[in-house]
Amino acid sequence: MTEKPIVRVSHVSRYFKRGSERVNVLNDLDLNVPEGQFLALMGPSGSGKTTLLNLIAGLDTPSEGEIWVGDRCVSTMNESQLARWRNEHVGFVFQFYHLLPVLSAYENVELPLLLLPLSAKKRREQAMTALELVGLEDRNSHLPSQLSGGQQQRVGIARAIVTDPTLIVADEPTGDLDAKSAHEILDLLGTLQRSLNKTILMVTHDLRAARRADRIQHLDKGRLVDQPDESLYEAG
Amino acid sequence: MKFLMLIFKNLRRNMVRSLLTSAGIMVLVFVITLIWSILGFLDMATSEKAANFKGIVTEKWSIPSQLPFSYAATLEDGAAREESDVKPMDSMTWQFFIGSVDKTNIGFSTFIFAFCMEPKKLLTMMDELDSLQPGPRATLDTAIKAMEGNRQGIIVGQKRLAAIEKKVGDKIKVFGINYRDIELECEIVGTFPPGRYDNNTCINRDYLNASLDAFKAAKGRPHPLAEKTLNLVWVKVPTKDAFSKMSNQIDSSPMFAAPPVKIETASSGVSNFLAAYKDLLMILRYLLAPAIIITLTVVISNAISISVRERRKEMAVLKVIGFQPNQIILLVLGEAILLGVVAGAISSIGTYYFVNRVIGGIPFQIAFFSSFPVLDGALWWGAAIGFITSFAGSILPALSTRSIKVVDVFSKVA
Ligand SMILES: Nc1ncnc2c1ncn2[C@@H]1O[C@H](COP(=O)(O)OP(=O)(O)O)[C@@H](O)[C@H]1O
Ligand SMILES: [Mg+2]
Repeated sequence: MTEKPIVRVSHVSRYFKRGSERVNVLNDLDLNVPEGQFLALMGPSGSGKTTLLNLIAGLDTPSEGEIWVGDRCVSTMNESQLARWRNEHVGFVFQFYHLLPVLSAYENVELPLLLLPLSAKKRREQAMTALELVGLEDRNSHLPSQLSGGQQQRVGIARAIVTDPTLIVADEPTGDLDAKSAHEILDLLGTLQRSLNKTILMVTHDLRAARRADRIQHLDKGRLVDQPDESLYEAG
Repeated sequence: MKFLMLIFKNLRRNMVRSLLTSAGIMVLVFVITLIWSILGFLDMATSEKAANFKGIVTEKWSIPSQLPFSYAATLEDGAAREESDVKPMDSMTWQFFIGSVDKTNIGFSTFIFAFCMEPKKLLTMMDELDSLQPGPRATLDTAIKAMEGNRQGIIVGQKRLAAIEKKVGDKIKVFGINYRDIELECEIVGTFPPGRYDNNTCINRDYLNASLDAFKAAKGRPHPLAEKTLNLVWVKVPTKDAFSKMSNQIDSSPMFAAPPVKIETASSGVSNFLAAYKDLLMILRYLLAPAIIITLTVVISNAISISVRERRKEMAVLKVIGFQPNQIILLVLGEAILLGVVAGAISSIGTYYFVNRVIGGIPFQIAFFSSFPVLDGALWWGAAIGFITSFAGSILPALSTRSIKVVDVFSKVA
């Protein structure tokens, strides 16, 4: 890991007000992710994994500290700048897929491209390429309700990669899938990372899923620790 | 627009709700189209006359009305006898002279239809001529002055002038058709502004009356129509009260025994009749129509609010993917407005064609009207109502999407 990190999180804290109380979720946290790395974030429920992912992906702003992705300082952008930046630079994969039920698989994948200055032909090319990469080009006209959970998640991944983003973030991408589908999704993420050199940040509390990544980081009490108490995940 | 597809698909998502909402819009726009058409038509039928309240005095039992000219002065006074009696604000006598510029060849190119009257009344008592723009008014006034200076002067409408192939300044002879053996030697001193009087002619009444006197002097006997020359008297009154008072004065006057006369006016008839329906029309105009508009707004607002609430998660996903808050607001407004404008336009345009072309008017008996056309405005007002109500109904639900937080999308419960 000698490459220049593409994600740099330095001295980041995030706290929430709960009534008059201040809840510190992340405490002076540092994290560097090199380009092309597949990183798994683990930690017990409520440890702040999602909070950290939201900050890196520009969905939330840190209370303290700085976050850089590529050459952009994400932590100082306003809401509108963040929206534009996310559209071009971040691909999102959700636990519950979050496809729009009224749109076909193809239209769901094309959605992020509608915000970019692309011709209809170019959009079609890119969306079909993304669907091919996840192996669903023959299902492009299906509605989400006509697809299995695993297939829906593959459409979700196609939507995440269609703008050729700098970073792919996935929060429990296999959390709602059976073991076989989960396995396929993890294979797919691994393939994308290797063949397209994508940087992937994945939150999971499934150790078997985490082991597919290049590197595992554990969140505990608002900080990253290298050696976790493995017994936390024994249930797997 | 790339997002139009998204708007369409969202409307199609809940077909039943979209169709029910459209049906609600259509029914309400249909009702308001009928109401506005009836009100608008009644306004047109009464407004001109309410501002210009005229009565017509004619022979009571006979058509055509032929009164002796000796009635003129009394009728122009509204048959006022007492100090307290009502007099007209203005008045005008009409004697019709039908003639030809060629004694033997009577046809389109020779025919003259003339009102014989006091020239100055053209500017105060004749519909449309009483409300000319300053330019045309001055031109007509010049011709009137010429008629007053020369009682043989006449004003001829432009189409008639062209038909008889004459121009202003020419002298013509008009041979009487209804007044047999009366020949008027006239000088054309002007024309009417283009429009309503294009085919009419105005002759000074003094000249007709003098010609009839000359006939008697020459032939030693009066002309057969000598006591039947006055066809109508117009009177202008300020109010309906004044009108009915004057009507009583005329009815009770001993002056008009043989032949008897009557006074009436189409416009006062309409207004008087409609007075009986005043409350009904007020309710239609100020209660029912606004209530329908408000109901429409509420129907749309309700449908859009539900649809926004159902889709908060989806909208959060759109924001995560990079949609700006304003783009989400536009998507919601777009859905509502598309539904409102299309349903509203279909309803009012459909009503227009169906009522006017198929059933020939709205059957609605009020006063002596029994059928109303749907006004031309219906071609656009359905879309306008749809636009305004759908905008008003959806703006708050649309703005409420601003509170949708992107971080919610990863929250535990989907
Ligand atoms: N918007 C918020 N307001 C208040 N507390 C929050 C908010 N978001 C997260 N938290 C709290 O922060 C802690 C970490 O949450 P989260 O990052 O979702 O944990 P994880 O994803 O690791 O399960 C939890 O205690 C949660 O209740
Ligand atoms: Mg979480």
